[in-house]
Amino acid sequence: MAERYDLVVVGAGPAGLTAAIYAARARMRTLVLDESVPGGQVKTTHKVSNYPGFPEDVKGTDLAKAFSAQAERFGAKIRRAVEITKHGLEGDLKTFELDEEEQVEAPAVIVATGARPRELGVPGESKFKGRGISYCATCDGAYFDGKEIHVIGGGNSAVEESLFLTQFARKVTIVHQFDHFQAEPVSAQEALHNPKIEVIWDSEPRAFLGEKQLDALRIENVKTKEVRELKTDGVFIFVGYVPRTDLVKGLVKMNPWGYVETGDDMSTDVPGLYVAGDIRSKQFRQITTAVADGTIAALAVQRYLKGRK
Amino acid sequence: MSEHVKEITQAEYEKEVLQAGEPVVLDFFSTECPPCEALAPKFEAVAGQFAGKARFLKIFRQGNRDLAARLGVSGSPTLIFFKGGSEVGERLSGEDIKRTALKAQVESMLA
Repeated sequence: MAERYDLVVVGAGPAGLTAAIYAARARMRTLVLDESVPGGQVKTTHKVSNYPGFPEDVKGTDLAKAFSAQAERFGAKIRRAVEITKHGLEGDLKTFELDEEEQVEAPAVIVATGARPRELGVPGESKFKGRGISYCATCDGAYFDGKEIHVIGGGNSAVEESLFLTQFARKVTIVHQFDHFQAEPVSAQEALHNPKIEVIWDSEPRAFLGEKQLDALRIENVKTKEVRELKTDGVFIFVGYVPRTDLVKGLVKMNPWGYVETGDDMSTDVPGLYVAGDIRSKQFRQITTAVADGTIAALAVQRYLKGRK
Repeated sequence: MSEHVKEITQAEYEKEVLQAGEPVVLDFFSTECPPCEALAPKFEAVAGQFAGKARFLKIFRQGNRDLAARLGVSGSPTLIFFKGGSEVGERLSGEDIKRTALKAQVESMLA
């Protein structure tokens, strides 16, 4: 027997948890599913400085916990570390099989699965994942105590996580493909003035090298075409994100980059199926914009369910 | 301490992992590591499914740095698979370790 909900939210990041807060407060039976612990990308962000309501910086893990506690306070049920092993989202009633054993169903679903860190696709990258290459500074920074490491990228994540990594590493060298950072000026300036941080501009990684363990990276200067190898103890890669769309592939319209196209109310072409947060096609992806999407999606679902009755 | 997962230290590695009669899955975890928190219930569940057939061990990386360095582990969580005292199969690491993927790898080790 399937357990019945009014709304299933997939993904417990800022978008999904905000949707759950609004839905639960509207007395909808709300289930949130996440294959990890709640928080999405926020939970592994070491600090958040631009989320309103926190005049001091807030730790990403604390903000993530606050979001989920608030959703639970109003009665939303959050299932952690759960895997969706089957799903049917097309019909009037959406169905999920969880961990190959449980069934749940609901007339409305909000998919807020967000995005995962983009891999570079450079030779050696998958071989050395967990053997010198990392995508999570909060998880793995402490492994590099007193070591010399490299960070690939120049956006907000790359620059802010580089600053965080200076707590552990002796030296952090940022390798960036352009001649300036894309990060916000406040963090970019901080990084440029940090004595532990060095920057190699106009350069892209071409290969990760080593026997069993990563010990060097090969980079190419995109202007001069000069190629060189740098010794390293570890590399952190922060080069953007790719949307997690496995659940809705083939079902909804996507833009050429794989993000889901929605209406202003977060609806898709499938009745009862909504999409919110970083997975959506839009210009800016921030915690604040994810929270806005989640709000709108939950309100639109309420209207949709009323219309169905 | 959980029922099916035992925590070890590097001093016990030889005995608990290399000399074990059954295949072993060893989980390197850290604190302040949300992906490790996310893996824990899945690891526990799969350990229960294979109780008596394979051993599920975990080891705290911060307290066992030498072994982590010796095995070339640089990220948490990292799962390493052992059979007959040697490492077998691909390691699983990072945020996206699925329960079904872990189960499949244990099954192939037992096959």
